Amino acid sequence: MRELFAVMMKEEWRLHATMFGSISFALFPVLIGAITFMGSLILSFIGEIIPGPTLSFLVHAQFLLLGIMVGGFGLLGQEVMNRRFGQASLVAYSSRTLPLSDRRIFTVFVVKDTVYYIILWVLPVIAGITLAAPWSGLPLSLIGTIALTLSLSFLTGLAVVFFLSTLYTRSMLLLAGVVAAGALFSILLLITGIVDPVCFFPPYALSRSFTVPLLLYSLTALMVPFALSIRFMTTEFPGREMHIPDRFSPLAGHLDRFRSGPTVAKDLLDLRRSGGLVGQTLFSFALPLALIWVTLAVLARVLPDTRLLITFAGVAGIIGATIYTWVTEFDAIAGYTFLPLGTPDLIRSKLATFLLLQPLTLGAVGAGAVISGDYGSLLPAAVLALSVSIYAASVMVWLTGLWPAVMVYDVKVLAASMLLIGPVLLGLIGVASMNSLFAFGSAVLLVPASLFIRGSYRRWESWEVAFT
Amino acid sequence: MAPVISASSLSKHYGDLKAVDQVSLDVEEGSLFGLLGPNGSGKTTMIRLLTGQVRPTSGSATVLDTDVVTSPVKVRERIGIIPEQETPPSFLTSEEYLAFVGRVRKISAVKEEADWWFEFLEFSDKRDVLCKDLSRGTRQKLMFAQAFLHRPVLALIDEPLINFDPVMQKTVKDYLAEYVRDGGTIFLSTHILEIAEEICSDVAIIHRGRLVHAGPVARILGQRQHLSDFFLEAVGKGSHA
Ligand SMILES: Nc1ncnc2c1ncn2[C@@H]1O[C@H](COP(=O)(O)OP(=O)(O)O)[C@@H](O)[C@H]1O
Ligand SMILES: [Mg+2]
Repeated sequence: MRELFAVMMKEEWRLHATMFGSISFALFPVLIGAITFMGSLILSFIGEIIPGPTLSFLVHAQFLLLGIMVGGFGLLGQEVMNRRFGQASLVAYSSRTLPLSDRRIFTVFVVKDTVYYIILWVLPVIAGITLAAPWSGLPLSLIGTIALTLSLSFLTGLAVVFFLSTLYTRSMLLLAGVVAAGALFSILLLITGIVDPVCFFPPYALSRSFTVPLLLYSLTALMVPFALSIRFMTTEFPGREMHIPDRFSPLAGHLDRFRSGPTVAKDLLDLRRSGGLVGQTLFSFALPLALIWVTLAVLARVLPDTRLLITFAGVAGIIGATIYTWVTEFDAIAGYTFLPLGTPDLIRSKLATFLLLQPLTLGAVGAGAVISGDYGSLLPAAVLALSVSIYAASVMVWLTGLWPAVMVYDVKVLAASMLLIGPVLLGLIGVASMNSLFAFGSAVLLVPASLFIRGSYRRWESWEVAFT
Repeated sequence: MAPVISASSLSKHYGDLKAVDQVSLDVEEGSLFGLLGPNGSGKTTMIRLLTGQVRPTSGSATVLDTDVVTSPVKVRERIGIIPEQETPPSFLTSEEYLAFVGRVRKISAVKEEADWWFEFLEFSDKRDVLCKDLSRGTRQKLMFAQAFLHRPVLALIDEPLINFDPVMQKTVKDYLAEYVRDGGTIFLSTHILEIAEEICSDVAIIHRGRLVHAGPVARILGQRQHLSDFFLEAVGKGSHA
């Protein structure tokens, strides 16, 4: 077991390190730490405006979100890795031939993922907070507690996604049933007022009053879903040989006018049939956006000048841009290189698929409008979300070509994308908060976006895939 | 007449490793050219270089009078390729995959072409099955069909026979022989010497990335009883080495 763990860790490291050089990759945690350090300093000023508990809630919520997103990638990632590198090339798959049960291998895999991402994300953040403590005025005595409750928040997010996606691999119906039952039960508890709402987020409750029962409660709240996921995980998918009529030709026929028609049609079918579309929408899109909505709603209460829907639309644009990572991630580029298609053709095609999926981003803004009742800002918010999404995606394309997911861990790429996207986003949200009609101005972003995209065709033309 | 494939001092290095090292060779039209070599000698890398899937570290190559380094897509439009490892997309059926390749390659009567291949390689019963549920052999049939779907004048095929049973191997070997008789050219990599001896008109042997021999099979067989004796000697494993 211990050997298997070590080999898997090594593999994970090499996978990332070979893709963008070990130095760039090793600097990643340093960058995260530095960002947190700066964030803590800035927050200590804002701290005057935002009450302590609110701030603490927000930070814990961010860690929960991080856990959800990492977990979403990890698990859906398995299918991805499997396709991209072929079953035999990953230890998790090849060790199936060893005298170990699938369940044990999966357990090691989960533990490895958890440890790996704690080192990559959680520890640097805690280091950043600690280093900033002398200036931010955070008592050092609290740091131990915060480190623990933040880690627990991260693990809770991870556990919830593991659990939900285990249900999802079993059956869609089961997932829907469990989610509905859980929601109903929670609403009942809330209405009757039997429990403090804080108890729905155990690590945060623990950070507010550190007691042994709450600690045990927090641990149980994450161990139970973890244990259930491992108990019910499945690596076997129904092996029935299905006969499927040709859906490709009619679909490609509809898309005939477009240059990327055939590849887009292939991608759409592939995404739908593999279940990747539903899974990604659920775990990498709807869930994070719901959490972001809650966070922004809390913030909007203490920062009166924010327009919730506009701010949400801006952030939804960023999440919408990550759809480009889904569409590039789920299949291996090597599967095209022997056809008469060049990297620019593939980028064009992936962008087309990305655009076809943007109704998801618009749907998120629509849902926000319904919840907030702010129908007046719906149209400008929708334009803002879509423009930001396309602009951010174009930056990603320019910086990473067809490999956005893995390149994010490259410090240079990460820093460049934050510089290119961050100020633009904040500026737009700021301006549109004064008058939501200004959000229409975000459409101007389509100009730099088209320049980035055109530039990327040349930039990535002769790039070779490292893993073919 | 200019050769169909012409490589000159072609090299591909991965760090210190010289996967292909200063290889020059010509392939004439109408030949069934076999690239032989032990595992890891650089055969797959050579095919990838010649089809513009990887860029050479140095050297150049033209295929059908087109520079592969500067115009890889133009070259791939005209040739057929069977890659070593790549499999068709998991969630398309065989039929859909051939329709996909047909559209990418702008073939007009792709349905008829595909039907012919399903019949010929005897996998009509699998035409509507998702590629992820196909056996290795069937996937290999599909990859074979996709390479020849547009009736290219040249095909570069990487270990095309290893997943086939003896009956299917015979079918495919006969197809290749007829294909070159009709004026096509095949560049085939394999480490199975019997196949090369049986069907190839010319062979090149590479070892650790370097070309150690190139010439007509007939000339080798004039000197040695079997290609394998010659091969073992060429790669330094023969009794006289
Ligand atoms: N992408 C790559 N990165 C690093 N080394 C590679 C890569 N592709 C091939 N090699 C190495 O190049 C050599 C030749 O490989 P290959 O062309 O696949 O040989 P063959 O097809 O003859 O078995 C091997 O040593 C292999 O490990
Ligand atoms: Mg090979």
